[in-house]
Amino acid sequence: MDHLSNERREIVQTLQAPDTRPDPSLRVTRRTFLHKSLLTAGVTASAATYGWFPLINTIDLAWGQTGFKFAWVSDTHLYPKNVNTRFVDKATRAFKEVQAMSPPADFLIFGGDLAQLGDPVELDLGADILKEVKIKKVFIPGEHDWYLDMGKKWEALFGKQPWTFDHKGVRFVGLDTVSRGPDYWTAKKMTDKERMGHMATLDGSVAGAWAGVGRDQLQWLQQNLSSWPKDRPVVIFTHNPLYEYYPPWNFWVRDWREVHEILKPYGNVTNIHGHTHQVLYNEIGKIRSIGMLATSWPWPYAPEGVPALTKCHLRVDPGDHFDGVGWAQLTMSAANKIENEYMMWRKKDHIFAEAQVDSGCGDNGNQILSPRTADREWPYYGAYK
Amino acid sequence: MTLRSIIHRRASAGGAPAPRRPAVRTTLAVSAVLLTVVALLAMGANRALAHKEKHTPDQLKAFDDIFMEQVKVGDLLFHGDGATEKKLGVELSKTAMACAMCHPFASDTHPQEFPKFQEQINKFATLRDMINWCIEKPNEGVKIPEDSEAMKALEAYIYWSNRGSRLDAGRH
Repeated sequence: MDHLSNERREIVQTLQAPDTRPDPSLRVTRRTFLHKSLLTAGVTASAATYGWFPLINTIDLAWGQTGFKFAWVSDTHLYPKNVNTRFVDKATRAFKEVQAMSPPADFLIFGGDLAQLGDPVELDLGADILKEVKIKKVFIPGEHDWYLDMGKKWEALFGKQPWTFDHKGVRFVGLDTVSRGPDYWTAKKMTDKERMGHMATLDGSVAGAWAGVGRDQLQWLQQNLSSWPKDRPVVIFTHNPLYEYYPPWNFWVRDWREVHEILKPYGNVTNIHGHTHQVLYNEIGKIRSIGMLATSWPWPYAPEGVPALTKCHLRVDPGDHFDGVGWAQLTMSAANKIENEYMMWRKKDHIFAEAQVDSGCGDNGNQILSPRTADREWPYYGAYK
Repeated sequence: MTLRSIIHRRASAGGAPAPRRPAVRTTLAVSAVLLTVVALLAMGANRALAHKEKHTPDQLKAFDDIFMEQVKVGDLLFHGDGATEKKLGVELSKTAMACAMCHPFASDTHPQEFPKFQEQINKFATLRDMINWCIEKPNEGVKIPEDSEAMKALEAYIYWSNRGSRLDAGRH
């Protein structure tokens, strides 16, 4: 995968000039502390039941506006309850904890992949669980929500993207990075379920480079930001990261260059994304990206391309469904800071790995992987043989 | 090692009980020679069977086809293909979770590190032990026999996908 290295070098050459960093006032520090709000109110019972203390790592970013909080939940990947309730339990727990935040969050952003296979039963189930959260809610879709009926049910429940709103001095933008995948299904006369199945296989070879912002949204973004002062904060929510981390798993958007071209004049841009199900931090030019946890299950770090600025989370215990997963709350404090707090559900004293042997990406130097093979033949090998 | 030295080693390894008695020593030496000759002939015969002729491209392709067929079956099992599970009579998951949902491209399966002490199982384990642990615990499926077709196929896929990884048995 040498071409990946070439493209990454291109990112650096194009955007990472020696004097280019995110706004210098946005100092990044990391610390771990016990999050007291979780030990109060209704959450105490569940915390005690599971026997964990939620220990939270924070990224503090100096900011410039009045204090408020917002919460991020994504990648719940709900199956119908008769298939499994594991993910339903975890999504419910996250939403209950969001509702129990004290002081309360101003809004919840749901970052996509509410459903596992785009099934209306799954999406309705998600909408039902989301009723737990009474504060303002905004939504962006994931590929798992979209490709059974091409977003019909999703849009009926959660509205259209892109969207934008200004809140206490910050411009928030929600983009759809999933719906503009190239048509791989028509020529092969796939059923809706087959199309969805390929889309739901992270490491599949059939769906290709489906993640992208698209020309229409790029134009919209440029217009939307044109009246916004260049030094004021912009937060962009996307399902996929807005940089190239690992294209084989669509840990990117294919038009990241165009996105960065539009965002280049702005000095205070934060992209918050889901899809990767892991702790991630990156800076490209003047833009910072923060990757969020899933509530469902953690993806392994990609075998290459983990941003150098990312401190990987600890190895995950596959025997513990609540390990390596969770949600996030972001606090914009009166002291002009925003704290991103990973609410990872695990009984550990910290979530970031210090030693390579404990790190989720510690083995990356030792494993060389191959793209899968069985889905490259058509008719699809196996099921239709 | 020369034939002479092999004979010598075999005779010594035989631990002749009474070296001072020539008749016994001679008998032992003759037995050792005979045994060695038979063993060498047998090895030669096997080698002759396996490498009777130079490999032809067709032969090599046939070997590869046999392997890749198993890789593909393993790939499908690993990605939760119901038809393949049914065909092989296995139920690898009852939660709709497939192996690949935590191990895309068979990442973090670390076949190159086995055998090793595996924390979850609390024993010195093989890759096959770990595959069965994942089937039984996170996937809540039904464990498969260690030498079953499904196990060998899963193993084939995991090894194939990791064939570039550095062999490092015992690494944690």
